[in-house]
Amino acid sequence: MSTLSYKHKMAAHCESGAVTSLLNNAGLDITEPLVFGISSGIFFGYFHKMKSFAFPTFIVRNKPGSMRTNLAKRLGIKFHTEKFRDAEKGMQKLDELLDKNIPVAVQVDFFYMDYLPAWERVHINVHFIVVVGKEGSKYIISDSYFPKLVELEAESLRKARFAGGNMSPKGFLFYPEFIPDKVNYPKAVRKGIRKSCFFMLRIPMPFLGIKGIRMFAKKIVTWPAFARDTEHLSHEIMKINILLEDQGTGGAGFRYMFATFLQQASAILEIPELNSFSKEMMEIGDGWREISLFAARIGKNRDLGPDRLKELGDMLLIRAGKEESFFRRLHDIIH
Amino acid sequence: MKEKDGVIDCPEQQVILYVEKEDGKYEPIQTGSYITKNFLDDYELKRHHLEDTLKKKVESGEVSPVYYYMILEDLTLSELSARVGMRKGKVKKHLEKLHFFSLDTETIQRYAEVFNVSVADMLQLTIAVPADPEAPKPAGQ
Repeated sequence: MSTLSYKHKMAAHCESGAVTSLLNNAGLDITEPLVFGISSGIFFGYFHKMKSFAFPTFIVRNKPGSMRTNLAKRLGIKFHTEKFRDAEKGMQKLDELLDKNIPVAVQVDFFYMDYLPAWERVHINVHFIVVVGKEGSKYIISDSYFPKLVELEAESLRKARFAGGNMSPKGFLFYPEFIPDKVNYPKAVRKGIRKSCFFMLRIPMPFLGIKGIRMFAKKIVTWPAFARDTEHLSHEIMKINILLEDQGTGGAGFRYMFATFLQQASAILEIPELNSFSKEMMEIGDGWREISLFAARIGKNRDLGPDRLKELGDMLLIRAGKEESFFRRLHDIIH
Repeated sequence: MKEKDGVIDCPEQQVILYVEKEDGKYEPIQTGSYITKNFLDDYELKRHHLEDTLKKKVESGEVSPVYYYMILEDLTLSELSARVGMRKGKVKKHLEKLHFFSLDTETIQRYAEVFNVSVADMLQLTIAVPADPEAPKPAGQ
């Protein structure tokens, strides 16, 4: 496939976007919400203290890499995957695949994606892009977060693929090797929903799933103790908005994309009740969006006293209650 | 979310948002980033203040350029040491200006690569810019 024939499309999230894009270009008609839902992408985790994070933080999706592995398992797709100890070998392998006109997804440190504005770029080793070609010293990139194909200097791509640190990419690359002629969507959709309910409700860790949302609600009032000053606290509180809305979630911490998945699942499984679950998840998402707008507003106004943070925590507790009830009922209907 | 509520005019940063269309179907739209449109100026102000504070600390000899970039790029000591491939204790020493000056160019280059800056950028930080004698003095002096 030549660079010109690769159909680039923006997507909400980098991993589901890269997987969807590769599969679409390989001939499988699948949407991003289906990839997200089948792979049980929806999740919540709160990390109060971790060596690799400078400040408490949270996640709203499953473990990086597991969207691809879960989807492959559930749809019978085979991806070729490879990691490299040696950067030169990793870059050479990429060039060889591009010479054969194979578009390749690679894991990178987001920070080195020079085509994005500086304020967006942070060190995070789990960004996924698709490399579709090479012209001179530049690679042609399809990044779900950018409206069109872009160029990236080979040196930047090397740095990004071989950055060290937490979840270092080690040059990881993948591309679809085998796609079955007929995929069993109903079975995969059921499995995806069941596992999502399991991850949100039943993991016995106090910081994961619904319990994680509750822990976040409780701990947010302690955030000032981690901040250097008011501006630092304001920055971290406003990052709640970025993590929920801007860092590739499709809005409201993936809740809008999950609602879209449930609407598509309703048609695939021929279960009309799933449509009302889809509407309910959209409303739950609206509540998350209120949280992210509230966080941005109090951050901007430096209105970060204990009462305000408690208010934010209370809003999170309401989301936890709504999602607990939602996933319990969803679990019951899908069994 | 209804489609009309999701439309944000912000060409600087485009995102995909899943919304409810008029026919009740949920679909993606390409729109602008809410936080970039409304709060980028605040982010830049805070970033500018942080850069100033850190620069002053480097100039006064309190910290090294390694510390400057580590904080600016939101890295922890553990994360930086893993990225640069050196023991944590060693990196901790390099956060002090005194130890930074004893580093060879190769080591500084390793840091510069992680921070995506040049060695010159890092060294330049250590040179204090003298106050401009022509600059207007604050009132009362």
